[in-house]
Amino acid sequence: MERCIACHGCVVACKEGHQLPVGINRRRVIIINEGKPGEKSISIACMHCSDAPCIAVCPIGALYQREDGIVLVNKEVCIGCGYCFMACPFGAPQFPRGNAFGARGAMDKCTFCAGGPAPTFSEKERRLYGQNRIAEGKVPLCAGMCSTKALLAGDGAVIADIFRERVARRGSGQAWGWAKAYKE
Amino acid sequence: MLVLLPAKTIGAEILRPYGPVSPVETLRKLNHLLLGNWPDEGREFISFIVAFKNYYFYVLIGVLGVLFLHYLIFGPRRFEHRGERIFYYGLFTRLVHWGAALSMTLLVFSGLATLFAKILGGGSLVMSLRSLHVGAAFAFAPFAILLFLALVKDMVPAFYDLKWFLVMGGYLSRQPRPVPAGKFNAGQKMWFWLGTAGGLVMFYTGYKLYQFTAPVSFLREMLKIHLYLGLAVLALYFIHLYMSLVAIKGALKSMLSGYKDSEEVALMHPKYYEKVSKD
Repeated sequence: MERCIACHGCVVACKEGHQLPVGINRRRVIIINEGKPGEKSISIACMHCSDAPCIAVCPIGALYQREDGIVLVNKEVCIGCGYCFMACPFGAPQFPRGNAFGARGAMDKCTFCAGGPAPTFSEKERRLYGQNRIAEGKVPLCAGMCSTKALLAGDGAVIADIFRERVARRGSGQAWGWAKAYKE
Repeated sequence: MLVLLPAKTIGAEILRPYGPVSPVETLRKLNHLLLGNWPDEGREFISFIVAFKNYYFYVLIGVLGVLFLHYLIFGPRRFEHRGERIFYYGLFTRLVHWGAALSMTLLVFSGLATLFAKILGGGSLVMSLRSLHVGAAFAFAPFAILLFLALVKDMVPAFYDLKWFLVMGGYLSRQPRPVPAGKFNAGQKMWFWLGTAGGLVMFYTGYKLYQFTAPVSFLREMLKIHLYLGLAVLALYFIHLYMSLVAIKGALKSMLSGYKDSEEVALMHPKYYEKVSKD
């Protein structure tokens, strides 16, 4: 948040890299106090929650979590009911239009650039879910693109250490924890 | 020297974002933008959805089971169909009824398919049934309005409807005895109001869910109403189906021809029978 400069590079990289149609935003940038003192921005996509609400409400079990924590959707099973969107705190699930009667199609969301349940590197996987950069050993497009490295990708503990070090260097004291977030 | 002075004393607000400003306020603001009402209603919504799938299962099994037991214990009702016939449903009413019935049947089964998508394996099959649900809803809405206009004058609740409920419409006995009911009994009235007025609420909430453009908090409310009402519609739909096709022989014929047997009317709708005999 302190580093993000709202360049939207992550959004563009994601859309281009996965060839997403117009209206599907796997990642978006939120800005507060735009043009005013105290302007801040942050880039938001699927958080790959450890106890993901979308998995809990999915009536068909199309959503699942990989062993490494990445939450993925099986587009060939998804029925587009939209429950996941209503359960998600972050508005991550996206739905294309254009079926009969204009009903929602299968859900699309951030895959952490890890493809989907289709065979890795297959044409089907690329068409349905986009690139599988994780299998190639690369970081997700957004994190790779981020010019200020506000977005990092990798093992949670390592990333947390980097962020903690950054915050400490900036000298804003303790900027995390329950007391700071809800009490003060 | 300058940097040692607090930002306030300099009076330069422009310096604030560059200094180590307390991020708490910023986070709060962002939190609201990000999460909306999720912290207040998210958890509740999740447990609601998870629980409701089971409710539908229980109601479906429960209603079908009770109806089956009723059939085993009390059996169907037969009327002679030899005596005088009473004209009951006009052509317009019958046409509208069948239009509504057909679209309602599509709605119930495509809705069930969406809820129990897991059994069907999901994917494009359920997706097309969901599209059918939307199409059937647009077909149903005008019929619901017409049916409402056609029947509402006979569907106003009356005091004797309570008595009808007390004796459960006389359906809990083998011997047909006269029950307190006008042209339509309390059960039919219940189905009427749920099917037309409730059906239009279903249409509105369903339309909002189909658009999917309203704020997510509103969509959650819409889904809740849609699922609650849907549960009631499901139960009464199957009861109506059972009554008209299985339990009361001749009910189907009367909705086709418009005529009911006078003996049946005298027993099941005595107040209307009195009125008709007087005329």
